[in-house]
Amino acid sequence: MKSKLEVMFLELKDTSEMMVDLAYSSLLYDNVEIAEEVIALNDRMEELSERIQDEIAHVSRAMPDEVARAVVTIRLMDSILEIAAAAKSIADVVVRGLAEHPVLAMSIRESDTTLCLAKVAPDSILSGKSLGDMSLATNTGMFILAIRREDEYIFGPDCNSYLEQGDILIAKGPEDAVAFFKDVADGTRQEF
Amino acid sequence: MTVRELLTEMKDTSEVIVDLAYASLMYNSDNMAQKVRDLENDMDDLKFAIRYKALLSSRTKEDARQLAGLLEVGAAADRISNAASDIVSLLRFPPEKRPLVTDVLLESDERIRMIRVKKESDMVGNTIEKLAIEANTGCKVIAIKNRHGWTYDPEDDMKLRANDDLIVRGTDDGADLLTDYAAGRKDWDFEEEVLTEAEVEAETEEDERVEAELTEELRGEEEE
Repeated sequence: MKSKLEVMFLELKDTSEMMVDLAYSSLLYDNVEIAEEVIALNDRMEELSERIQDEIAHVSRAMPDEVARAVVTIRLMDSILEIAAAAKSIADVVVRGLAEHPVLAMSIRESDTTLCLAKVAPDSILSGKSLGDMSLATNTGMFILAIRREDEYIFGPDCNSYLEQGDILIAKGPEDAVAFFKDVADGTRQEF
Repeated sequence: MTVRELLTEMKDTSEVIVDLAYASLMYNSDNMAQKVRDLENDMDDLKFAIRYKALLSSRTKEDARQLAGLLEVGAAADRISNAASDIVSLLRFPPEKRPLVTDVLLESDERIRMIRVKKESDMVGNTIEKLAIEANTGCKVIAIKNRHGWTYDPEDDMKLRANDDLIVRGTDDGADLLTDYAAGRKDWDFEEEVLTEAEVEAETEEDERVEAELTEELRGEEEE
């Protein structure tokens, strides 16, 4: 069974990675709502880090042998928080309206890991299915960062999240996977 | 290099360096840690190069404003690589002092795994590009170990050989799938694109048009 500390730490690491991906998405699409989510996630990271510190203090008091482990954990946590803070500083550029330089979008699109948007068509095989059912990341190489449904965003969907027709997907992955992914979303391709 | 090329390079480096840093802790590898430190040094060079280029290209007040934003993004990539280099400094602690770290890395949404390419696999003799490994399995190859040693962040034209070890980052089922391919339990699905050049071009154009439309849709919403 996973310890309380492990569960919190896992969330810390996964959130930091999602923040970086979302920060680049906010930059590419010059989107303040996504940027604000990154900033909100950073606040959650700070809270989480305090809870982790309390838990480490608690565990170490009971087991003095754990002190060296506690040092390692706290230092790694600091690095993860630094990554999250870097993501927040990218989001901040968007919020300040300084993300308009065309070079920004170009450099993100030309990266090894690129970002793209796709809309789920009514006849798409994605419509009405969960991300887990379809193993979407495995089958298309694209990883869904966020879903925009009506006027709402669903950030960091998990394998239980369902897709509906009309959803706009923000996905990251290699450039050579983009065309296939878009074909699946718009219904051109009816199988993986 | 242009500002655009520099920023692309910085973003790519900031992504691969974090994966490598975590992998170095998982596999207790000083060799990988050294690569992280080398990348961090490269990043410092890139940081100065991009500042210099950006300052030179600034002509108007609005240029300066937008370039300030761009430089902040470059600075963020540099911060991430600094964090990665701090992560590998944890190697000085013995592995038994960092069990939580390894457990967490094994449980993340996107995990790091080592996969061996067996001689039975039809991946052998093909390049990463031909296989389109990431597009087909969702797993990104972050390092390869072969008889010549380690290659980090391998180029697309690198050929896989029998007994190569791949360090990949991906979802669990993606890594399972890749393991099956690499063990020769499953035949690689080589995609023979039957589209003509003109069809590919038309499709690319259509994709770009839709991408632009959806981008507008995301932006339009904010102004309401």
